[in-house]
Amino acid sequence: MTSPRRAQIGLALAALALGVVVLVVVTGGEHNVHRGAYAALALATGWGFTGTGLYVWRRRPGNRVGPLMIAVGFSGMLKALAFANGSVLFTIGSLGEVLIFAVLVHLLLSFPSGRLEGRLDRLLVGASYFNTTVVNTAAFLFTDPAKAGCSNCPSNPLLIESSQAASVISTAEVDIAIALLGAVVAVLYRRWRDSTHGQRRAYAPVLAGGSLTFALLMTQLIVQQAGLSSGVSDALTLALFGSIACLPVAFLVGLLRFRFGQAEAVSLLVARLGAGGGRGALRDALAEALGDPDLELAYWVPSQGSYVDAVGRPMRVDPAPEGKVATIVEHEGRRVGAILHNADLAEERDHVRAVGAAAALTLENERLEAELRANLDQLRASRARIVTAGDVQRRRLERDLHDGTQQRLMALGINLRMARDRVSSDPEEAVELLDASLDELNEATRELRELARGIHPAVLTERGLRAALNGLAERSPVPVDLTETPDGRLPSSVESAVYFVVAEALTNVARYAGARVATVSVQRSNGHIDVEVSDDGVGGADPDQGSGLRGLSDRVAALDGRLDLKSADGRGTTVRASIPCV
Amino acid sequence: MGRTVLIVDDHPSFRASAKRMLEADGYDVIAEAADGAHAIDAVRVLRPDLVLLDIRLPDVDGFQIAQRLAADGPAPAVVLTSSHDRSDFAREIADSPVQGFIPKSELSAGAISLLLG
Repeated sequence: MTSPRRAQIGLALAALALGVVVLVVVTGGEHNVHRGAYAALALATGWGFTGTGLYVWRRRPGNRVGPLMIAVGFSGMLKALAFANGSVLFTIGSLGEVLIFAVLVHLLLSFPSGRLEGRLDRLLVGASYFNTTVVNTAAFLFTDPAKAGCSNCPSNPLLIESSQAASVISTAEVDIAIALLGAVVAVLYRRWRDSTHGQRRAYAPVLAGGSLTFALLMTQLIVQQAGLSSGVSDALTLALFGSIACLPVAFLVGLLRFRFGQAEAVSLLVARLGAGGGRGALRDALAEALGDPDLELAYWVPSQGSYVDAVGRPMRVDPAPEGKVATIVEHEGRRVGAILHNADLAEERDHVRAVGAAAALTLENERLEAELRANLDQLRASRARIVTAGDVQRRRLERDLHDGTQQRLMALGINLRMARDRVSSDPEEAVELLDASLDELNEATRELRELARGIHPAVLTERGLRAALNGLAERSPVPVDLTETPDGRLPSSVESAVYFVVAEALTNVARYAGARVATVSVQRSNGHIDVEVSDDGVGGADPDQGSGLRGLSDRVAALDGRLDLKSADGRGTTVRASIPCV
Repeated sequence: MGRTVLIVDDHPSFRASAKRMLEADGYDVIAEAADGAHAIDAVRVLRPDLVLLDIRLPDVDGFQIAQRLAADGPAPAVVLTSSHDRSDFAREIADSPVQGFIPKSELSAGAISLLLG
């Protein structure tokens, strides 16, 4: 048996036993005028709250409403012990006499999530516990029951001395209680006012019952302060006990309605979806069904491994934005999207999932549209970048030709003209000029070769990928371990993409990585060519910095492939590309 | 002593060849500059008779340098040169306060002397 289960059975047995004690104590109490009524109400409160609390706890183990209801049940029975004739039970009952009201405040303010959400809620609950324990105990220490008008009450073993202090502290306790109850009723009213139609149906019995109880308690305290007749006070006390005893029923009705509310939300959603609607209709329907007007939908795009919104823009889901919680929606075992909803709904994940499941098919359809838009946007951006990259490359080529080869050829021309003019008059200088011209010519040839290789390596066309990669490894200033290359020839577009991925990655290794060695592997697997270039350098490369990797990513994407960069600080860099190749 | 010359070009190999060519023909190359800012400073300080000025420079182009030199007062003779040919800059050359233009492919001391008259 699990430990919560054991605890629940233990609590049920304890509540039964305490209930029997309460029955005996209240019916035998000599300082109690309405024995039968009090006994019945104490048991109804104790067993009613404990039983309902145990049921709620089992249904929703993560929600604190169940344990809080059990606490109300026990504190209700504790209160009844104040009717005991024996001084020990009387003292225990007197000390815990008003604790039930603090626990009730806690329960009401935390319904239905079981958590206190705001600072005001926490302040009210904290002050209530302080008033019903510390202040109440302080008053009891100076209270002699006989002198306080209860001649049949047992003596107070904790009495320090009977003094005015008791009435001063008691008056303060009552004043504080009245103020706190007024504030709690105002908070409950505000909660009611701000809730949606569906929420109101579920919360109505609880909020109405709770507010009635607190209003009765306030009235009773005011009557007590005003010193009105004990008949009025007794009647109010009975009415108050009666209303507390009825509260478990209110909670049960509230919970049942809440489950009906779920079903209602799903059927409302299905009806709305059946009516169709344009883009945004699903979001609106979900927002209404879940009572969260700020709800957002995120669509999963498997090819990008990320979420996008309805128009294909990237969306952050994990971690969810502040104040929001993401509930993933699946369809036939596949992730289709996520509902980003108010964190208040976090405790109602089952509810959100039920509503999300009802919308999964529509969500899947919208997801396909969003994925298409996202891919289209990416394609447009990639196409624009390819055009820009082409322009940039042509400009660089022109600059390289102008600054390098062209200048050398110009200088060569000058030297040759001068040599021609001096062949007869000064043959020695003519030879010097011809030597200088040959040097210029060699340099110009070398630069042209480099340039041509940058445009498209001839060795790749003529002798294939392995030879071209060997050449790259040979020329790299960082030692390269070329572990694997595919046999035979590949489509020329794939060979080019692989070559330039490796060339750019090795250039980056040489420039930025501070690596001792780089490893290159190119292999075929499952209809793809997988390229991996890794180094043991400093890492920390940013894929968004520099146009080189972005350009390669576009080149690979143009072949329906994918380029990834992994570069944690201090742990080297790995560039991976996977390109379809049948 | 021949005419003093400042060579302005951002390519060292071209400057070296031009210097050799001009000196072989009796010109006195007193300075070289790799960009427009250094060229203007050198002209103000050294007052050369001739500036052999490349059109395409890293900071400002040769036309702007010629304009500034002309605006500064008595300007040296300026001969523009470029690895592009005349058709690329016909209008700008015509509008510039310079002696003339010689493509680098045709550059010689004789061609410069012809322009200077």
